[in-house]
Amino acid sequence: MKTLIIVSHPTVEESGSQQFLIQSLPDDGEITLHVLEQTYPEGEIDLEKEQALLREHDRILFQFPFYWYSSPPLLKKWQDDVLTDHFAFGYRGTKLHGKEFGLVLIIGLPEKEYQTGGEEGFSISELTKPYQAMAKKTGMTYLKPLTIFQFPYLTEPEKKALLIAYQQYISLPQPISLKRKEDWVLDQLAKTSKETLPTEGAAFVLEAAAEAIEDNRMELDELRLHIDNYDV
Amino acid sequence: MQENQWLIKQLEQLESDSRDYKQKALLQATIALLEEQEKRRGQLQGELDGTLWSPGNWNI
Repeated sequence: MKTLIIVSHPTVEESGSQQFLIQSLPDDGEITLHVLEQTYPEGEIDLEKEQALLREHDRILFQFPFYWYSSPPLLKKWQDDVLTDHFAFGYRGTKLHGKEFGLVLIIGLPEKEYQTGGEEGFSISELTKPYQAMAKKTGMTYLKPLTIFQFPYLTEPEKKALLIAYQQYISLPQPISLKRKEDWVLDQLAKTSKETLPTEGAAFVLEAAAEAIEDNRMELDELRLHIDNYDV
Repeated sequence: MQENQWLIKQLEQLESDSRDYKQKALLQATIALLEEQEKRRGQLQGELDGTLWSPGNWNI
């Protein structure tokens, strides 16, 4: 599966959250990072190039800071310019059909404010309706968004958990189940470099962890089987 | 699940020794995954026990 990450941010080099996400990208996998403001500093979007990029990828992500319940202006212009009649919708406008679409949102206020009675008063699901409608009109499956609230206040463990959630959001088949997370972690453990692990016996511990994950999975499946097959 | 606990301690040590940030994150995620599996095991075990002990299922 090929993932296209379309980033929009007026000053991406100076954004701590955007830089963190960019540094977090997996080293493997078929991923294209596309920062609009860097590609088009003058704001003139190459329609042919953008539509070709969309065709080549299976999962399309918009990654941006949530400004006034919407995106920075260049991403809106991108939508206006690129998602044209006969390409994204309308007669023979089926080029995006069957693809997945998701949002990676950087949000300044805490999550609890995005609900009725909260400071913002509306949920993220309500405020992102135009993107949901865009996905619907263009025949794409709308994924649950990856929402990052108050990035500067995240603790170190929270940042590391975000790094993993982001990598999985980019590459894992949806919906992201525990079983899929297990397979992903097993794959990553097998690939991780031993050179950055000075601990004696590190390889043994990694192998033991992989075995434990597999054994636990067998036990979980077995328990589920007993429950499902219990003769009532 | 003492075995898991031993393993989690070892993984925590690896995480603190690792010189790569992404690797640290992966090791933290491995620990979280083992803990989540353990939680699910407890839940399923509870569900199975509840099913076995339900008089409605005794067929008498």
